[in-house]
Amino acid sequence: MALLETHNLTKSFGGLVAVDDVNLEIEEGESISVIGPNGAGKSTLINLVTRMLDATEGDIEFDGDSILKHEPHEVVQKGVSRSFQTASIFPELTVEENAQIAALAAEHGSFRFNFLRHRNNYGEVDRLARRTLDAVGLLGQRDVTAEDLPYGDKRRLELGIALASEPSLLLMDEPTAGMSPEETADTVELIEEVKEQLDLTILLVEHDMEVVFNVSDRIVVLNRGAVIAEGPPEEVQGNPEVQEAYLGGMDA
Amino acid sequence: MSDEPTETPDATDETGSVVERTQRELPSWERIRESELFVVAATTLAVAIFPWLFARAPVVSGVLQGYQDLATLILIWGIFAMGFNLLLGYTGLLSFGHAAFWGGAAYAAGVFSAQVSSSPILIILAGTSFAALSAWILGFISLRRGGIYFAILTLAFGQMAFYMALSPLAWITGGENGFTGVELGKLFGVFQLRYPVPGLDWLVGTWKYVLVGGVAVLCVAAANRILHSPYGMVFRAIRENDQRAEFVGLNVWRYKLMAFIISGTFAGVAGSLFTIYSAYVPLSSFYWTTSGEVVIMAVLGGVGSLFGPILGAAIYLYVENIVSGVQQLTLPFTGPNEYVTLVQEPVVLMDGFGAYWHLILGLVFVAVVVLFPRGIWGLLMDFGSAVRKLGGGR
Amino acid sequence: MSLLAETVTVLLNGLQQGAIYVLVAIGLSIILGTLKFVNFAHGALYLIGTYAGLLITLKITPTGGKLADWGYTTLGLGWGFLPALLIVPILVFVVGLAMERFVARPFYDRPDTDQILLTFGLAIVVQEVFKILFGGQSYNFARPGWASGQVGLPIVGTFPEWRLYIIGITATVVVLVYGLIEYTDFGLVVRAGTRDAEMVELLGIKLSRPYLMVFGVGAALAGVAGVVGGPLYAVNPNIGTEVLVPSFLVVVIGGVGSISGAVLGGILIGETLAVMVAIAPQWSQVGIYVLAAIVLLARPQGLLGAEEVAP
Repeated sequence: MALLETHNLTKSFGGLVAVDDVNLEIEEGESISVIGPNGAGKSTLINLVTRMLDATEGDIEFDGDSILKHEPHEVVQKGVSRSFQTASIFPELTVEENAQIAALAAEHGSFRFNFLRHRNNYGEVDRLARRTLDAVGLLGQRDVTAEDLPYGDKRRLELGIALASEPSLLLMDEPTAGMSPEETADTVELIEEVKEQLDLTILLVEHDMEVVFNVSDRIVVLNRGAVIAEGPPEEVQGNPEVQEAYLGGMDA
Repeated sequence: MSDEPTETPDATDETGSVVERTQRELPSWERIRESELFVVAATTLAVAIFPWLFARAPVVSGVLQGYQDLATLILIWGIFAMGFNLLLGYTGLLSFGHAAFWGGAAYAAGVFSAQVSSSPILIILAGTSFAALSAWILGFISLRRGGIYFAILTLAFGQMAFYMALSPLAWITGGENGFTGVELGKLFGVFQLRYPVPGLDWLVGTWKYVLVGGVAVLCVAAANRILHSPYGMVFRAIRENDQRAEFVGLNVWRYKLMAFIISGTFAGVAGSLFTIYSAYVPLSSFYWTTSGEVVIMAVLGGVGSLFGPILGAAIYLYVENIVSGVQQLTLPFTGPNEYVTLVQEPVVLMDGFGAYWHLILGLVFVAVVVLFPRGIWGLLMDFGSAVRKLGGGR
Repeated sequence: MSLLAETVTVLLNGLQQGAIYVLVAIGLSIILGTLKFVNFAHGALYLIGTYAGLLITLKITPTGGKLADWGYTTLGLGWGFLPALLIVPILVFVVGLAMERFVARPFYDRPDTDQILLTFGLAIVVQEVFKILFGGQSYNFARPGWASGQVGLPIVGTFPEWRLYIIGITATVVVLVYGLIEYTDFGLVVRAGTRDAEMVELLGIKLSRPYLMVFGVGAALAGVAGVVGGPLYAVNPNIGTEVLVPSFLVVVIGGVGSISGAVLGGILIGETLAVMVAIAPQWSQVGIYVLAAIVLLARPQGLLGAEEVAP
């Protein structure tokens, strides 16, 4: 059984169909990339799976259960975590606190009545936070205020926050957007590393083809909301329809 | 380097090799200041000497022209503002409806005292419970819409409480006249609230102050603990980026509701104390201006800290009750009634100065919002650390 | 009076009451919808409108406040009501422009909370300035002689003429603003900006001028409300905040950014008040809040509000 399945998933905004009848299956341990020209519906797809947006039609199943009626935090609690396109962090908190918040949610669930219990009593939260920061290489900067980090490190922290939620499926929305070539290379390495370490299943939305071909086992190509090709990187690369979609996208 | 800050030992094992330990070390003064025991002890001390300093100490009290009752009132509003700030400063939610909890608790406390028991402790418990319950209901409705609507909705439903008390419920609340039937018994069945404390009356005055002061210390301890519990961190996370908080798996809505209920509960403690303090509940305690006042106090004092709002309450009440009575603004040390008189003839800067008190507060409030988002407490802290730097400290 | 006549009278009263809220709420709503700016100082604009209307229409003797202390025995121009109805909106329009330029604009990038705190502080300052100048007591804003009588109407018999004027003036102004937003290029930009400001800016249209205009128009409407509403109630420094809260409810009920929503919400609130006053006066004020709570629970975006795009 696949870890994540979408059945006829459709999202329309008024007359515009952003995601059109998409059927996806992601097996446990797989790395999948979703590519496609601008406006193909890639981000919308992630937003649907994480329940940021309501689907117009279709169903989403995670680990065998439909998550269509779940709140976003419930989806995270089930093991689906995401990173955002912009570095979505807690700017005025320290790097360590950023990770602790996610670790807290992972260890304690979405809500608890523990407002009179001192934080020093939660060693397991601190341990998880530090382990995650170590994994993304930010442990040395744990006392730095997050907004003072350089851009590349903010993205790293963003990934760290997503990882500290202890996901089994990680969705990444253009993790290398706005990065220099070196930062991009570092990030690819980082993704490979954490995937091995934490036994993750990954769904990546990305523009940078080099990243995509480096990281993925399988590629899904979206155009105007619909899947036009699917397969291992080499196969998709040679697909004329894909080249057409990309070139067409560039013309427009 | 033996004084490593409180860290779990196993965490040190995992990470000690990676992090340069010196980076973790806080200056010892700041570490002491952070500790819970220090916060509670310092608050107790400050609460104990405050009325003496304000109302009876030589020179200081003469300059300030404070009086015992105002000291009590400052603590009561201080509790209100501090609790309010858990919502505004830490969670980032601005409520204009907290009069509903202050007023609701005040009325509930009054009615309870007349109908059930006049024990001060039970009165406080009754008023506070009522406020917590009201906060749960009002929060549930007001949090239906996020962001900017929250201020509008809390304002609206706070006003609804006012109109409820004004006429449909006038048979309980006394309508426009307020609630006049407050009955006050002895504290723990022993101490008359209005009597001086034997042997300590020069310091703290009456048992009433002891009660209010004791509750205030408890409230500071509770608020401090909440901020150092997981809630403190979750609240700040919500303030910084509530979308991200939701997407790490936190139930943001419920935490917001909890922040609202907790702050409403503090408002309830304060409102109940107010009933005990004045033995009367005015209808205006429900009016939205009461909500506005606590907003001003919190912002003026400083939303970024636990104690800022208490300072804000002190400043607001001081200006309202003492500065407003100043007929002529004169240069210090001029005129016959000063402690040190340099010139016999007072140098008048402004006539009828007291009438401007509210306008002045409004202008200072606007200035704080625009220029000093961390409020007066923040300014004092910056000043303090600047002085320490100059003095060669770290 | 027959039951029918009584009912119609109540409904007309409700319409008139609602009219004031509609005028204030449209400004609040379009400013909130386009600029995403919560203006707690909108009531202060109403306040300015009322005092300005009073001083243009009549000659008054200040009975308190610093102006009286400073020896002013008569204030005001005494030009009558119609000049006030023309001048005040222009005056408050200019105040609104200044407010957008110097108060709102520097705060567009600050958190919502700061915007609310700032305008709240500003509302206090304006209110206190009026209190200090004119005193805290009420002034009587007499209705113009030509409209102070009763007018014969079918079914109801007689009805205060002034109230009909309010309904008429409001209807005219609302139609004008509706036309401005629906049928002009300015309105098109404003409506597009409401939906997606970023997109409009990407298309190369600068929004700062339309935003300025939106603020000005919204303010002018509050000014009109101040002038026509002034003669209904006693004039004192608190009227601004007193009109603000029900107007917020109108926005919540009608839906943000929608003129028709504000009209619907205003009429609903006005009618609820009037009907409650007639049948259960004790509950009249509470009624409008209950109405708002019901709408909010059933339809959080307001009766005519658009579905929210993102949380």
